[in-house]
Amino acid sequence: MKLLEPLRLGNRTAPNRIVFGAHETNLGRRRALSERHVAYYERRALGGAGVIVVEDASVHPSDWPYERAPLASACAPGWRTIVDACAAAARGEGVRPLVLAGLNHAGSQGSSAFSQLPMWAPSRVPDVATREVPQAMEPDEIAAVIAGFAEAARGALAAGCDGVDVNVGQFSLIRQFLSGLTNQRSDEWTGSDGGHDDGLRLRFAQRVLAAVRDAIGPDAVLAIRLSCDELAPWAGIVADVGALVAAALAETVDAITVVRGSIFSTGATRPDGHTEPGFNLGLVAQIREAVTAVRPGVAVVAQGSIVEWGQAEWALGGFDDPARADAVEMTRAQIADPDLGAKVAAGHADRVRPCLLCNQKCQVRDGRNPIVSCVGEPRSGHELDDPDPCAGVDIGVDIGEGTGRTAGAPRDVLVVGAGVAGLECARVAAARGHRVRLVERSSGLGGSVRTAAAGSGRSRLALIADWLEAECRRLGVTIETSSEIEPGLVERIAGDHAVVLCTGARPGLRPYAGTSPPSTGGAPARGSGGASSSGSSGVVVWSASDLLATERRSPTGTVRGLDAALPEGPVVVWDPVGGPVAVSIAELLASRGRQVTLVCPDFTVGTQLSLTGDLAPANTRLLQAGVALVKRSVLRSLGTTGVVVEERYTGLTTVIACAALVDCGTLLPDDALWRATGERHPRAGDAVAPRTIHEAILEGRRAALALDGPGA
Amino acid sequence: MPTVARYPRLFSPLRLGPVTVENRVVFSAHLTNYAEDGHATDQHAAYYEARAAGGAGLIITEEHSVHPTDWPYEKLIHGFSPSVIPGYRQITDAVHAHGTPIFAQINHNGGQASSMYSRLPVWAPSSVPDPLFREVPKELEVREIAEIVAGYALVAGHCRQGGFDGIELQCSHSSIVRGFLSLATNHRTDDYGGTLARRARLLLEIVAAVRETIGRDLALGVRLCGDELIEHGTTIDDAVEVARMVEATGQVDYVNTSIGVATATLYMIEASMHVPPGYAMFIPSAIRKAISLPVVGVGRFKDPLQAERALDAGHCDLVGVVRGQIADADFVAKARSGHVDDTRLCLSCNQECVGRMGLNRWLGCIENPRTGREAERGRWASAVALVDRPQRVVVVGAGPAGMQAAIAAANRGHRVTVIERDPVPGGQVRLAATVANRAELGDVIRNQVTECRRAGVTMRYGEEASVDSLRALRPDVVVVATGSVPERPWWVPQVDPSLAEAPGALVVDVTDVLAGRAAPTGRVAVFDELGFHQATSVAELLADRGCAVEVITPGMVVGQDLGITLDLEQWWMRASAKGIAQTTDTLVMGAGPCADGRPGLALQLVHHPTGGSELREVDWLVLCVPAAPADGLWRACRDAGIRVERVGDCVAPRRIHAAVVEGQRVGERL
Repeated sequence: MKLLEPLRLGNRTAPNRIVFGAHETNLGRRRALSERHVAYYERRALGGAGVIVVEDASVHPSDWPYERAPLASACAPGWRTIVDACAAAARGEGVRPLVLAGLNHAGSQGSSAFSQLPMWAPSRVPDVATREVPQAMEPDEIAAVIAGFAEAARGALAAGCDGVDVNVGQFSLIRQFLSGLTNQRSDEWTGSDGGHDDGLRLRFAQRVLAAVRDAIGPDAVLAIRLSCDELAPWAGIVADVGALVAAALAETVDAITVVRGSIFSTGATRPDGHTEPGFNLGLVAQIREAVTAVRPGVAVVAQGSIVEWGQAEWALGGFDDPARADAVEMTRAQIADPDLGAKVAAGHADRVRPCLLCNQKCQVRDGRNPIVSCVGEPRSGHELDDPDPCAGVDIGVDIGEGTGRTAGAPRDVLVVGAGVAGLECARVAAARGHRVRLVERSSGLGGSVRTAAAGSGRSRLALIADWLEAECRRLGVTIETSSEIEPGLVERIAGDHAVVLCTGARPGLRPYAGTSPPSTGGAPARGSGGASSSGSSGVVVWSASDLLATERRSPTGTVRGLDAALPEGPVVVWDPVGGPVAVSIAELLASRGRQVTLVCPDFTVGTQLSLTGDLAPANTRLLQAGVALVKRSVLRSLGTTGVVVEERYTGLTTVIACAALVDCGTLLPDDALWRATGERHPRAGDAVAPRTIHEAILEGRRAALALDGPGA
Repeated sequence: MPTVARYPRLFSPLRLGPVTVENRVVFSAHLTNYAEDGHATDQHAAYYEARAAGGAGLIITEEHSVHPTDWPYEKLIHGFSPSVIPGYRQITDAVHAHGTPIFAQINHNGGQASSMYSRLPVWAPSSVPDPLFREVPKELEVREIAEIVAGYALVAGHCRQGGFDGIELQCSHSSIVRGFLSLATNHRTDDYGGTLARRARLLLEIVAAVRETIGRDLALGVRLCGDELIEHGTTIDDAVEVARMVEATGQVDYVNTSIGVATATLYMIEASMHVPPGYAMFIPSAIRKAISLPVVGVGRFKDPLQAERALDAGHCDLVGVVRGQIADADFVAKARSGHVDDTRLCLSCNQECVGRMGLNRWLGCIENPRTGREAERGRWASAVALVDRPQRVVVVGAGPAGMQAAIAAANRGHRVTVIERDPVPGGQVRLAATVANRAELGDVIRNQVTECRRAGVTMRYGEEASVDSLRALRPDVVVVATGSVPERPWWVPQVDPSLAEAPGALVVDVTDVLAGRAAPTGRVAVFDELGFHQATSVAELLADRGCAVEVITPGMVVGQDLGITLDLEQWWMRASAKGIAQTTDTLVMGAGPCADGRPGLALQLVHHPTGGSELREVDWLVLCVPAAPADGLWRACRDAGIRVERVGDCVAPRRIHAAVVEGQRVGERL
């Protein structure tokens, strides 16, 4: 398998071609690498990564792009500990991953909030995101940054790193010097050294890389992360230019990771599932061709939502196709499953926990400093906080969770509800040796995740349900579908069974006139899975989940589809949440030719999407699809031919004509069984409070671990 | 004593249970984001100590969390952990050294939180998602309510051990107690929901538990919200009733007040300069009529006279002055000593205090470079330590950067002259403050001029500086603070002086309008690439003058950064009332003559998400775009071999705070 072949980088050899690329983690302590960083990278080394690039460190104090951004001068102890830990974690000689130190200066894409200093940039072009005007660098400042790169690289090598990975990618000062978007100088720093075309503006990059190479010597690895398409053809680097830049810089470097994106497209480097996996492979192939022509020994690393081993293998020339790359960055895939490499190597590629490309927990460039994690693997980023549910399992012998390890006395466990909370609970309990019976009321497993996956651009969500289901089956969980659990049964078996209730959610309140009055407690009847309308309103009301469920295949293989479900005519989507659901529904409806109006209480649609990087892209997609966006407004009532909305800050009301309303409001916990059984059995996921996949899996897992008693 | 004459009530002592305050100014609880790993820091101690030294009558710390389920923002003090006690002791020792009492505010934020940091379900009375965090909370089980009550008692005990003189229960803004009190968030049908008495049950249980823990040696206060300003929320009648219940316990020593809900109507809690001072006075006023406990009033108290009047009118017994003491730690001392004119007045701009809280950054102040940096004691000691060899310092430019550099240099004993081209100081701030409702921004100029005068800085106005004129002054060092100059984007047509009505002449910079150099009329488009007050201010100014105004921005929202300063909501209200149109996601790509000889300007607009373009005919276009640094003098001085530094917009055009911190940094190190 190409993916598992060793990779020569400079004079060093990586044991395979799976790269864990540089990315923000917020794991740092002030500006140093922390013990949490060590555990995070160590876990990926243990799981079979070939190359690990440590989070970018700023090479100069003028750069402080986010609060926990490492500063190279504070990183030496952390680098050393990471190198040692990764070497110790890798199983056997010759399989130690290469450890590279990421180095960067973010230039005008940084922040002045922490340094309280002006940002440095080639020219005073404000970044699109902050709109802050940077200071055009003076010659002594340029020299200081070049020296900073060299000093940082020297420090990384002295700390035992195999080399450095210099960021010339989407958030980087070096790229800003390369690009006509951001380098509008009129001095020598628009030129190039070594006979290269001055139009390439190579000089700053060349001087940095020369200084770094000088600092680390010929044997250490010098890699770069290079934006080869800034997606701004009017002035930015286009692919053909990117190829020339890559070929020129290849003179000095051992590896080039090909990325795309720039100041106008910050989400383009690491987009969510709305962008196809492997979207960059065409660009990668073009760059590799240009680089190979001048210096064949330079490794070209593919990047860009590559999360499946098969696509990675294909990119490397597997399956009898020509190679497009020499290595593959699979960062998010290894956040989702740190054992990716080990599982593939052991022939268990099918057991890799999938990356959903949801960006919900791993994309942490956010002022709140969230810790890098994963919806499907909540222990990622929390290696020191969370117990390993399968601790003690020697994955060198039998890869992955579940070797029939018995944790204390095996118990009989009844898990009610087979959404992701129940599935994860059953999976972990079974892996730990318990006898698990998983009972689901509906005909299939996966619960609301499968429904959400029917939304536009969200199909990969279903993969976590598939994986959990497959693991449960492999681990011998007894699964019963279409089976309703009565309270009496729970009471009867509770004596010798542990019971975990993962019963999901029920419809939420609808605090607007024309529907049933808001509930003030108790347990209303479960939603019938269909539409409702009441009073004199002619508007049919659907909940988001019920409507999406019509897109799912029934056990008989039929799809009713939302077209059949909805009356003809315009549709209003009411989104008091600002998450991905309403956007996906509006897009789906628009793609079916519906006239759609999305109403939200906020100043922008999809406010919560800023974390996943989909805020601007989602708004763009909606506008391009012709969805009308009514912002700063709340839904007040259903009229006879439409809905009444009120502008929040003026009190003005308008009627939006529609035949149907899709309510994307939050849900309530379906805790009827819990209440009917004495409010004493543990719950997990939406049955506690309807939230996201992450909380469901985290709580399902905790409930399983708690079966062995506290402290397990 | 001038004090007694001017502010007799402000400087009269008052008993709050076992604690006597020497004056009525309270540095009330507010977030700082100074905590690290759930613990108070040196910075907390230094910050509170500076206000104690500055004469505050009472300090109430930021909230301490009572339970691990409560972690809504990263830098929250985890009061429930016993390891907080040494940090508490550090704070209270520092404050007590100045004879000032200090209380701890304790709280559980309830449903006004997310699980991002705690990784635990959010706890709330009912499964009602918070309007900001939007996470469905877990409806509390009764045994969990008991756990929360126990948490309050536990943390009160930690505070007692940590040397605090009192406890304040946060039951407003953002709090699980508020959540129970309010019908908007409490839908329970058990003993904790329904009637007001049942909704107040949690509060009363907490009062009893905390009092039992702290005994009678510590004061106990309750902070209540008088009007949540949300649908189905608590209003003043309920608040008065709850205050009566609180008094009836006989366990509580004072009542603090507030307005708004932190996660829904924050713009009325920490109101900016657009909201009149004293706007929340009706709350303490009503409560004080109903109970006999001392009542604290809050709401944009800017100066001691205003506070004195509120006391005199019987609205309240104490006044909360937070931002006033963030801007000037010596707010009280200056009033007491008759130097009230020296007070660095708060601008209520919210840019670096409130604005940084929502961004998870440490609290600072736009005009006080020491705020948030108090723990850098060595720095401030050296910043005011006189230099051995005073130098002749010439500062060019009397905007915020230049004046701050002058202040910092003069405080170190340098002989400083400021040369300003205009006849008056202030630079662009002066222009910004000319707009209705933005006048208080101009206080920064007043404050700096006052401080310059006190520091002995020579101000020379109406003088253009050049290399030669500077040389003639024989300075040891020149600090250039010459600001910025407007820049016109590439697509703006050249101005042809022979044609007064040529398209280029109809395109003006925002500073031209504010300075009165241009007076657009008719249909005016304001193109905004800055996303702050410039465009919204000029739009309002022109709308008030009768223009038909449209603000056009490439951003997703007009005035995006007004959200940070809590000005966005009310901008919308005012803009709607004034008929100002707002066009987002749109670039101006060209400006030319209108077709068929019609007067005015045809703008070529591009809606960038869809690529759609249209022509917009207007009479004027006002540009709010990045300016260019006016760095010519700096370069000329450098080239001429003069020792020269530069600060503020002539480095890179930014906002006031950047100018102030840069001026301070350079000025103190000359």
